Amino acid sequence: MNLLRWLAQKSGLDIRSAEYSYGEDPVLGFTSNRKHADRWVNSTCGYCSVGCGMQLGVREGKVVSVRGNPDHPVNLGKLCPKGLAEHYAIDANGRAKYPLLRKNGQLARIGWDVAIDTLVERFRKIQQKYGPESLGIVSTGQLVTEEFYALGKLVQLGFGTTNYDGNTTLCMSTAVAGYKRSFGSDGPPGAYEDLEVADVILLIGANIAENHPILCTRLEANSAKTLIVADPRVTKTAMMADVYLPVKPRSDLALINAILRILIDEELYNKEYVELHTTGFAELRASLAPYTVDYAASITGLSPELIRKTALLYGNAKAAFIGWTMGVNHSTKGTETVNAINNLALITQNIGRPGASPFSITGQCNAMGTREAGFSSGLPGYRKFESSEDREELARLWNLPVDRIPTKRGLAYPDIIEAAVSRKIRALWIIGTNPLVSFPNIDVLKHGLGNLDFLVVQDGFHPTPTTELADMVLPAAIWGEKEGTYTNSERRVSKVNAAVKPPGEARRDFDIFLAVAERLGCGKELFPGWRNPSDAFEEWRRVSTGRLCDYSGITYAALETAGGLQWPCPVGASTNPAAPRRLYTDGRFQTDDGRARLVPTQWAPFPEQPHPEFPLILNTGRTVEHWHTRTKTGGISILQRLSPRAWLEMNPVDAGKLGLKPHEHVDVISARGRVSKVELRITEIVAPGQIFLPFHFVESNANQITQSAFDPISREPNFKQCAVRVEKSSTAHA
Amino acid sequence: MELPLLDRALAGNEDAFCLTTAANPADGVVASLCGTGSDIALPPPPGPGEQYRFHFDMTKCIGCKCCVVACNEQNGNPADILWRRVGEIEGGIYPDTLRHYLSMGCNHCLEPTCMTGCPVDAYSKDGPTGIVRHSADICIGCQYCTWNCSYGVPQYNPERGVVGKCDMCYGRLTQGQHPACVSACPEGAIRIETVRIAEWREEYRIDANSPGMPSADDSLSTTRITIPGRLPHDLRKVDLNRLRPEHPHWPLVVMTVLTQLSVGAFTSIWLLEVFSAHAHRAAALIALLAAAVALSASTLHLGRPIHALRALKMWRRSWLSREVLLFTLFANAAAAYSAALWIHLPGTTFLGGLTVVFGICGVGASARLYLVPGRPAWKSPFTILEFYLTAVLLGSAGANILTGASPRTQAATIIAGLATLLVGGLKITWLARSEVHERRGAYSLLFTVLSNHLRLRFLLLSAGLLMLPFAQSRWTAVPIVLALIAGEFVSRYLFFVSVVPTNIATEYLSVEAA
Repeated sequence: MNLLRWLAQKSGLDIRSAEYSYGEDPVLGFTSNRKHADRWVNSTCGYCSVGCGMQLGVREGKVVSVRGNPDHPVNLGKLCPKGLAEHYAIDANGRAKYPLLRKNGQLARIGWDVAIDTLVERFRKIQQKYGPESLGIVSTGQLVTEEFYALGKLVQLGFGTTNYDGNTTLCMSTAVAGYKRSFGSDGPPGAYEDLEVADVILLIGANIAENHPILCTRLEANSAKTLIVADPRVTKTAMMADVYLPVKPRSDLALINAILRILIDEELYNKEYVELHTTGFAELRASLAPYTVDYAASITGLSPELIRKTALLYGNAKAAFIGWTMGVNHSTKGTETVNAINNLALITQNIGRPGASPFSITGQCNAMGTREAGFSSGLPGYRKFESSEDREELARLWNLPVDRIPTKRGLAYPDIIEAAVSRKIRALWIIGTNPLVSFPNIDVLKHGLGNLDFLVVQDGFHPTPTTELADMVLPAAIWGEKEGTYTNSERRVSKVNAAVKPPGEARRDFDIFLAVAERLGCGKELFPGWRNPSDAFEEWRRVSTGRLCDYSGITYAALETAGGLQWPCPVGASTNPAAPRRLYTDGRFQTDDGRARLVPTQWAPFPEQPHPEFPLILNTGRTVEHWHTRTKTGGISILQRLSPRAWLEMNPVDAGKLGLKPHEHVDVISARGRVSKVELRITEIVAPGQIFLPFHFVESNANQITQSAFDPISREPNFKQCAVRVEKSSTAHA
Repeated sequence: MELPLLDRALAGNEDAFCLTTAANPADGVVASLCGTGSDIALPPPPGPGEQYRFHFDMTKCIGCKCCVVACNEQNGNPADILWRRVGEIEGGIYPDTLRHYLSMGCNHCLEPTCMTGCPVDAYSKDGPTGIVRHSADICIGCQYCTWNCSYGVPQYNPERGVVGKCDMCYGRLTQGQHPACVSACPEGAIRIETVRIAEWREEYRIDANSPGMPSADDSLSTTRITIPGRLPHDLRKVDLNRLRPEHPHWPLVVMTVLTQLSVGAFTSIWLLEVFSAHAHRAAALIALLAAAVALSASTLHLGRPIHALRALKMWRRSWLSREVLLFTLFANAAAAYSAALWIHLPGTTFLGGLTVVFGICGVGASARLYLVPGRPAWKSPFTILEFYLTAVLLGSAGANILTGASPRTQAATIIAGLATLLVGGLKITWLARSEVHERRGAYSLLFTVLSNHLRLRFLLLSAGLLMLPFAQSRWTAVPIVLALIAGEFVSRYLFFVSVVPTNIATEYLSVEAA
C-alpha cells in the first residue's frame, strides 16, 4: 500500500489534493481545510504582555488553528506572527511528557508520586540541614495568576523560604521598583488607549515594532501624534518615528534630566499639580543643576537643539505618553531612569489623564500577574513586607498567625544565583524559565547550579539547556492546556482557557503545586478545598479587595463576556471592557501622604566602558519571530524559517577596520567568554563602535559574554551594554 | 473548486455577480483566520477594463511578517514555501539610516510571464478579477514558471510535485472576505483595490516599481506600491551580498548535454553519409540511445512525470512546449533514420536530413527557453551559442571516432573547441562587466565557490583539444571525446548553479547556514 502511494506520488498521479483543499468554514471563512475546527476556545496569547485575545480551533483533540479574537478589546482580531503560529508550540517537538529523575548521571522516567515525594523529601532534608532559606525558587512570568498566587503561598508559607523570585527580575523589576519609589505602588498607570489619544508619544528603549507589534496598531490609529523614539539602534520602531533620537548607549537618564531642567527653567510644568500632589520638588530641582543642555548633549551625542526640541514637544503637549521597555530596564541605572521618567510625567501632570502616562510596556504574558499576586518581591495585592498593617490583614484573610507572614523579602534572582555560588542556597526549583540562555554571564550561573545539592526544573519543554542540568524534571502543561488569567501591560485581566490536554503525563503547574502542598502537609491549610484555578481566583479576589489591584468585581464569567477587564475593578464596577481605566486620576497616590515622590536621580556611565582590548559596545535584544530563549518558538518551523539563527550587526566603519565582509562568521569576545561563529551583518542600523546580537539563540548565546552587573535597587541585570571585541572566526570547524 | 464567476458576469447577471456582497455588516464581522479586516470594505467588483490588484504601503509596513504567517496558515503550506514574503531594504548613513520592508505575494501581472511560459496551460488570468490563477491539477511540475517570473512568485512544492502561488485568496474574495494577508496586517499596509487596465499600462512604471524589486517591465506588475517620499540613493536589498549556487537540476544537465550530443552526432553521421557515403549504423544507434536517455532524464525533472506528454500542449506560446515537440520529432526521425540505416532502406539521406533539421531546431528551442526574465545571466545570445557549440563540439569530436581522427574532423573539432573557449571567455567578461547585479553575481560565484568547477571545465576542454592532434585511430580518439563530453557536463552544471535569480529583496539571513 505504501509502495503504491509512493509510486502514485512520484509519478504525479497523487498530488495530495485532499490535504491541500479549501473549503468554507463558518468561523474562518474560505481557508485550507486543514485549519477547520470543530470547536473554538477563547483564550489569551501566551507570549508577550500586550495580551491579545485569541481563539483556538480544536479538531479531534488537536489545536489546528488560531485566530485573533475580533471582539477582544486589546487586539480586535489582530495577532503578531508568533501569535498566528502559536498553536504549533503545543505539538512541537521537545515537549516534556514525563517526570524524570537523575539516576547514575542519567535522567530516567519516574511516576508522579515518586516525583512529588522526592521533591518534598529532598527540599525538606536540605532545609533541615542548612536552614529554611537554603531553598530557592526561581519562577517566571508565564504562569497564570492563579498559579502564581498558589506558588507564592506554597513557597513562603509552606516551605517557609523567602528566597523566591521570578525571571521577571531579568525584565520588569526595574519598572516595579521605579513605580514603587515614585507612586508608592507598582502598577502601570495608563491604558493602551493613551497611544491613540496622546499628541506626543516618547518611546525610550522600546522597540515595539519588533516586540509588541500589535501596539503599533494603536499608533497607526493616531494620525495626529508626534512620535519620538530614543534608541541607540535604528530599530524598526525608530523608522516609525517623527523625531528619532539616536542616543548613545545608556545616556537616556541624562536626556530626561536635561528635559526636566528645561521644563522647570522655562516654567513649562504644572506648578499647581506639583504643589498639591507631589513632594520633593526642591530636591529634584537642585539635583538637576548639572544637566544643562550642553552637558546632556555631550553625554547623549544629540545636538542641543534636538534635546530642546524634544523637551518643548513634551512640555507643550496636551497629553504626553512615555513608553519604555528593556532599553531602560536592563541597566544598573534602570530604576533611577524610571524615576526620572515618572518625574517628567508628574511635573507636567502627564499622568492619570487620557493619553498621558508614564507607561512600562511589560514583557511576558503574565509578568503583571506575578507582580500582583506572586508573593515574591512583595506581599500579594501590592502589600508591603515592611507594613505590619498589611501583614496583619493578610494573616486575617488567610486565617494564619501573623508571625507566619515574612517581614522582609528574600533574595532577588541574581542574589539567589550568587547564594548558590557561595553555597548558601543548596536546593533550587526553577519553574517555566530557561536561565542557561536568559541569565547574564552564564558561566557564573553554571557554577551556581553546579554547586546545588538538588535542582528541580519544571517546564513545558525538555530537553532545554536548563532541564539538561536538572536532577529532576517536572513536565508541565503550557498555554492552550490550562485555565486561569493573565494581566497585560495596561492592567487588563483576560481569561486563559484549556483547549486540549497536556501531552503524556504533563500536569498543570497548578496541580503540581497542590500536590506538593498536599505532600508537604500544608494543603488543607493553604489551599482549603481547592481543586481548580477558579478556587485560587476566588480567594485572590477576596485578598485583592480594596487594594490598588482590586479584582473583586472580576469574575470568570465577566471575563468571558468582556474579553478582558482592567483593574482596579471593585465589586459593582462597570464590566464594560471599552471603558479605559487609569490609575491616579484623582492625583492621590499609594504613599502614606497620598502624594507622589519626585525622586532625584543622577546619570552615570555604564559600568563596563569600552577600552583597547574590548573596544566595542555590545547591545542585545530581540526579533519579532522569536520568544525569549526559543523553547517555544524554536520548534515552530515557520518562525524558524523566517529567523533561522543569530546574527551580529556591525557598522561598516568597524567592519572596514577589522577587514570583515558581509555574512562572514565572527566571534564576539568579552572578558567573560566568547560567542563563536555568528553571521555578520554589516549595516547602518547600528552606530560605529556598537554591535547588536539577539539573545534568543543558545547556539550563539549572547549571555556567554554579558556581565554580572545589576541595578542596586531592582537587581535587574545590565544586559544592554558591555565591552567586547570581534574577531573573524577561525576556519577550523569546531 | 469551480467558481463560475466569469460565466455569471458574462451572462450579465448583476445579482449573481456578487464578489463583495457577502461582507454584510449585519452579519457582524467578516470571518477570517486572523483579524477581521472589518474596518475596511473590499472594493466593488472590477468592471469592464478593470481588475483587482494589491496595494502595498511601504510607509506603513513595520516588517512584522504577520502577512507571511497568515498566508501559510490560510493555504496550509509547509514552512519552506512562502507565497507571501517580506524583504528588507536599507540605505543611508547612521543615524540617518532608512530601513524599509517589502511585502509581496503575486503581482497578478497584465502580461504574466509565468502564464506565457507554461507548457501545459496551468495558468489563467481570471476574467472578472484579473487574478492570475494556477491549477495544480493541470500543472506537471516542470517549474518553468519559477524561472519565468522575475519576482520568484511561483514556488515548487516537492511534496505535491506541482507549483503553487498566491491567488489573492480568490476563494475568499468571491465570498466577500479579505485575503489572509490583508486581514492579518496590523498596520493596514496591504489592501485590495481596483485598477483600470488601460491606464495602468501607461502609468505602471511610476507605482509598480520599487527599490528592492525587479523591474515591472518584465510582466507589467499590477501591485501599486506606495514608497516613502525621501529615499536615499543607496537604498538596496539587504540580501545583496548573499550569493549561493542554485539547484543544479541534474535531469536538465543530462538532458541538454545529451540532446546536443545526439543532435551533433546525427549531424556528423548524416554529413559522413552524404559526403563520404559511409553508413555509421552503430554510431546512429549510440546517438539514438543518447537521445532516449536525454528524453527520459527530462521527465525526471517533472514533479509529475506521468503527465509529461501534456507538455506538448502549448507549442504555440511556450518555448518549453516547442522544445518538447521538436525533440520528440527529432527522436522519432532519428529512430526512423537509424532503423533505415540498419535494414538498408532507401531514403536514409532524407530521413537523416529531417533528423538534423528537427535536431537543430530542437537545440534552438531548448536554448531559447532559458532566455527568461528571472535569470539575467541566461538571458543573452551566449546561451544560444553555448548550446549550439556543445552540439558542434561533441558532434565533430564524435566524428573523429568514426573517421579515425581524420585531419578534417580534427580541424572541425579544434575550431569548435576554440570557439567554445572564446565564447566562454567572452561570456565571463560580459558577466563581470555587467551593470546587472544578478550577472555580476554569477561571475562572483564562478570565481569563488565554483572556481574549482570552472577550472575543471577548462582543463577538460583544453586537454581534449591538446590531445586531439595526437589521436591516430578511432580508439585513441575515444578518451579524448569522453574528456570533451565530461567538460560539457561540467560546463552545463555551472550554467545551472551559477545563475543568480532576480527576486524581491528577502531577509538578511538565508535559511541554510552559510
